[in-house]
Amino acid sequence: MVAPIYIIATLLGVAFGLGLFGKKMNSSAGFLSLLALGFASFISLEWLAGFWLYDRAAEYIYTAGFQPPFSINLLMGKEEALFTSLINIAGFFGAVYLWDKLKKIGSNGYVTLMGMILGLNVIIMTRDLFNLFVFLEISSIATAGLIIFSQNLRTIAAGFKYMLATGIISGILLLGIVFMYYFTGTLNIDDFLAVHSLAVKGFGVAVFFVLIAIVLELKPFPANGWGLDVYESADSGIAALISAGTATASFFVMYKLLPLGTPQFHMVLAGIGLATFIGSNLMGLKQTNPNRLLGYSSIGQVGLLVTILGLSEFLGERTTFIAYSILISHFLAKAGLFWISGIVKRSTIKEWAVLRNSRLLMILFGVFVFTLIGFPPFPSFFGKWDMMLQLAASNQYFWIIGVLLGSLLEGVYLFRWLGYALKLDNTELPSFEVKWNKVLPVVVFGAATFVIGYFVSSIHPYAKVINYIPLAVALAFVLIDFLPAYVKNTLAILAMAYYYYYLYPTLSSFGAVFGAIFMVGGIVTLIAGYAYKGQRRGFYPFALMMFAGLIGLIEAKTTIAFFYAWEVMTVGSYFLIIRGKKSMPHALSYMIFSMGGAYLMLAGFAIASVGQFNLDMSTLSHVLVYPTWVFILLAVGFMTKTASLGLHIWLPGAHAEAETDVSPMVSAILLKAGVFGLVTLFLAMGDQLIGGEVSVIYLLGWLGAITAVMGNLMAAFQEDAKRLLAYSSVGVLGYILFGLSLMSHLGWLSAISISVTHFMFKALLFLAIGGVVWRVKTKEMYRMGGLIKRMPFSFFSVLIGIIVLAGLPPLSGFSGKWIFYNAIMMKQWYLQGALIFFSGIVAFLYTFRLIHSVFLGQLKDEHREVKEAPFWILVPQYLIIGVLLFFSAVPNSLLKPIGKIITPYFPVGALDWTGQHAVSPFGYWNGLVIFYIVVSIFLVVLVWLIINNRRAQKVKQFNIVFAAERPFKPETTHYAYNFYAHYRKAIGILVEPKITGWWEGVAEWAHAMGDKIRKIYNGDGQSYVIHIMAFIVIIYLISFGGF
Amino acid sequence: MGTIVTKILYALLTLFIVTNYGLILSGVVHKIGARVGRRHGIRFYQPYIDLIKNYTFRTRITHGIMYYIGPVFRLTGGIGLLLFLPVIYGSPVFDNFSFAGDLTFVLYFQFFGVLGMALGAGESGHPYSALGVSRGLAQTTAMELPLTLGVLALAVQYHTLNIHDIVAAQQGSILHWTLFTNPLAAIAMMLSFLAMMGRSPFDVVLAPQEIPIGPPTEYHSALLGVLQLNRAIFPAAKLILFMNLLFGGATNWGELIIKTFFIYMWSVFVGIAYPRFRVDQSVRWYLGIPLLIGVAAILVVKYF
Repeated sequence: MVAPIYIIATLLGVAFGLGLFGKKMNSSAGFLSLLALGFASFISLEWLAGFWLYDRAAEYIYTAGFQPPFSINLLMGKEEALFTSLINIAGFFGAVYLWDKLKKIGSNGYVTLMGMILGLNVIIMTRDLFNLFVFLEISSIATAGLIIFSQNLRTIAAGFKYMLATGIISGILLLGIVFMYYFTGTLNIDDFLAVHSLAVKGFGVAVFFVLIAIVLELKPFPANGWGLDVYESADSGIAALISAGTATASFFVMYKLLPLGTPQFHMVLAGIGLATFIGSNLMGLKQTNPNRLLGYSSIGQVGLLVTILGLSEFLGERTTFIAYSILISHFLAKAGLFWISGIVKRSTIKEWAVLRNSRLLMILFGVFVFTLIGFPPFPSFFGKWDMMLQLAASNQYFWIIGVLLGSLLEGVYLFRWLGYALKLDNTELPSFEVKWNKVLPVVVFGAATFVIGYFVSSIHPYAKVINYIPLAVALAFVLIDFLPAYVKNTLAILAMAYYYYYLYPTLSSFGAVFGAIFMVGGIVTLIAGYAYKGQRRGFYPFALMMFAGLIGLIEAKTTIAFFYAWEVMTVGSYFLIIRGKKSMPHALSYMIFSMGGAYLMLAGFAIASVGQFNLDMSTLSHVLVYPTWVFILLAVGFMTKTASLGLHIWLPGAHAEAETDVSPMVSAILLKAGVFGLVTLFLAMGDQLIGGEVSVIYLLGWLGAITAVMGNLMAAFQEDAKRLLAYSSVGVLGYILFGLSLMSHLGWLSAISISVTHFMFKALLFLAIGGVVWRVKTKEMYRMGGLIKRMPFSFFSVLIGIIVLAGLPPLSGFSGKWIFYNAIMMKQWYLQGALIFFSGIVAFLYTFRLIHSVFLGQLKDEHREVKEAPFWILVPQYLIIGVLLFFSAVPNSLLKPIGKIITPYFPVGALDWTGQHAVSPFGYWNGLVIFYIVVSIFLVVLVWLIINNRRAQKVKQFNIVFAAERPFKPETTHYAYNFYAHYRKAIGILVEPKITGWWEGVAEWAHAMGDKIRKIYNGDGQSYVIHIMAFIVIIYLISFGGF
Repeated sequence: MGTIVTKILYALLTLFIVTNYGLILSGVVHKIGARVGRRHGIRFYQPYIDLIKNYTFRTRITHGIMYYIGPVFRLTGGIGLLLFLPVIYGSPVFDNFSFAGDLTFVLYFQFFGVLGMALGAGESGHPYSALGVSRGLAQTTAMELPLTLGVLALAVQYHTLNIHDIVAAQQGSILHWTLFTNPLAAIAMMLSFLAMMGRSPFDVVLAPQEIPIGPPTEYHSALLGVLQLNRAIFPAAKLILFMNLLFGGATNWGELIIKTFFIYMWSVFVGIAYPRFRVDQSVRWYLGIPLLIGVAAILVVKYF
């Protein structure tokens, strides 16, 4: 074990030694520095390993052999080892990254860097307050030096402001230290901790000065304009060091000195942190400069960490886990992002589209964004989860709301940025240079997010049981992404099929139904993937990730596993959705709604965990506190996925703009995740009453009915075929919500059976229409027409699809309608029921419009030579048609097993089956007999017609009764545009985009707020100083009761 | 086997009777309409002549398969609806295939032919066909609301969706008819009935008097013949449905003919007295007073 003093000795020695190097020896100076930093990293990592693996005791280092208070002492404990490791690793990779720049500056640059890292190391290890002050100064000066090495006006101004601010902060700190020494006669932190309850009024003020100085070092909102300017104007490599190094060390100082503060001060601290977290992220919304944006995010994240420290009384023994997992995520991601920014060298986030030129960096960018926001499998996911649970356990709901709100805001701008990078046009942008020394650190940190994420989950008491295999398989597809699409498609299908085979015996109850939808559905829709040529890069990892998430939902035994799977699914589906050509804004709104929903779920699960002995899903059935709130939070969370009215605005764009085989995946399969969530929730918690009177499920029933009507009405007014289908999904999911809300055997029978058939007919329709769009290159229905002549197979698919969708007998869609009528009668929800039936009739409107405008009417000149949809897109359609026809003729093959699954939960009111004859308390229905009769009559009439009309002559397209004229332009003869103009005139007022308008208002308001607040950062050093002073005064008044 | 053959034979008999009744009814109503308008009008057997004429046309054209089978869907819908209804109360043989589905099924099945036909008309490529369908569908959505509410009110009242049981509950006295026991539901349903019969003021879908418009625009010869056949059967089937639901059903063919004739006359009277609505007007009209009556019917049966 190398003594920790060697960290200091090495860095200091090399820094001094470098002074001897001449101008021409820059390379050797660089190597020496790297060696020194590497050695320092080695020492701290060795200590970390010692603590972690061998349970070593912490070690004190005394200077000159004297004991404190006569000397300065350093401590190397577990935490110090961790933090110095982080600092030294950041220093090492920072130096690798800055290789060229430092080489240009010469040995002075290396010396400054050594000084900074050295200062940060000592800040972490020292137990002496004055020593702390000294090394804070050293690292500040070194940092300022590094900043102004980039010789331009902005960096010099920023460096000056930095010195100005840190100068004041040091002054305050020194004042505090002086008074603390005056009161206690010591400068040793451990001694302070022993006497901090000193009942002298002045001592409290002295401690306040020390602590507020450290708080200011952490750049609290709004006294942080200087920090932002630094982040914006410094070289990205330096900014990375500040964000990953300085912020991390400052955080540790706060952590170290935290016990000095009173509980009251801790709450103030938490408040400062939360204000910083929310404030920074709010201001980040309008920011377009990537480095300044990262600065906002950095400051925000540190604010979150300060909140965690402030709330440590509530977070209890999990504080360390929470703080460290979030800190390390931030450390890795922020350094990585700053580094990427330095490679890309673009001054607005819109120009980051150029990042796509480097696939590796693009992937890493995505990894860091998801790490930062706290998605699995990255460490901060587990930190946030624990934080929410602990806060809920201590009744701290205010903080839950605040932290989740801030996270959501952060997600908005980070995902917007990611979307820009993934989608905006980059043909005009100059490409950037990729050097290995700049990429290496990014790659290492990117890989570390996964490794540490896995490590963190493995030490988490509940996360370690999560099944990582499906996710690992999905990620493995990244490695084989270079293979041709058909190979990967086959492998993906085989993987899914094998996993289903493996999982099948373990599936039971609703898991079996939804497992079939997710996995069999996944396999069927994947078949269409054979239609794609080339490599189709980036598709399979995310498709499989989505399915891994879906499978995880079914497998989940604990709430954390469920939430984990939910988030994995969200990530996968986000990347699938954003693949569409015009998907960028829709993917963003999908992500924002998903995050909002996920946070509500997180809050719900957190409250549900209060007072429980474990996190099993079954704990939902005996929630001890605020069960109504838990129910509402979880239900609304799930309904963001089922796109219930009010939360639906992301869906049409996301589903319509997606690729041909992605639309069925996200529309026919993914939405069922929300349904599965609701099923699980309703079964576990039953109904809840608001204020002891109003049933939540009753309200959800109304919501479902209204969603069904509105979804279908909006579908009827679409010109875009895929958008029409997307709105139709909103409507059908409304049906399903309504059916579940009935909380009866028949209600659930219809809801679950519609879930199954909706998968089939929606996949069928999206594939068929997708195939048409594939050929005709437009989604606008009025631009098509008459395609039945060119694409008869697709026409037949759509025909079957819409008959099932519309619920017309004799096909299987009708079973759902029939059961609904009975279920409504038994529940006595007549008015809602009438709405549901109204929506069913409205469905005729859009189904007819769809098939007519696309396949019937007049064929356009440009489509005369168009070919049938690709073979591989037709294959899954005809598989589905086969199953649909079977279910139509033999309805109890679907309904009976589902009924059996429902019976244990809702034993009363089951259907009475005799063969295919179903009897309910109100009516009866025999699908098979109806099928036979209708087919027989049809055949008889057809034969009768053929006998009478056998020599009918086929006429050409324009040969119609047209006032004795011959129309010659299909465009003017095809009645398709604004097909329901009269209907719009009658009831169009119902479908005005009020809800979209409301959400847009919310977004605009948030952006305007952020924009207004950030006006306080006017770039003027004097203003920043005033901010700092005002901040101190205000916090003083708050802490000491002046207010 | 024997029962199936018997069933089929009786079904054909029912079909034969109802077809002839429908054709004659159509001729008679035309005649009445003409006389009210002080015209001489057609002979009451004119529909037969039209039918024969259409089936014997020698020019026969088609626009494609869907166009060709559109009328087949239409007639299948008409015949199916008739055969899925219990026609004569108490007569097992004229129950036909009503054992296969209840009222819910029948209400949904009536769209089978309509939509199939709409598809056929669509393939003709005539804009007026599509326009007619678009109007028809729009009007249907609104018209169905009071009807659905009425039917639900009936189902609540009789605790069943079985048409037999609904008819059975109305036997004994004229005052047992739903018309008198549940007047609000009956009114709501009879207002919807007006649009179902496609007469003025709700006839802009077909606009039979002037320019050719609506789904049949492009049909002619035997194809039109099939449609005409359906035009005899389908309304008759709907009349029988309403008779069963609201007017006590019929225990013999005579009663059936008298009752359905007067039910039909309700739409004829209204049609002759009132001018035509545009579609947006009719949609709004149905979403007004008829809808409120339907809601009132539900509230009454639920809470009183």
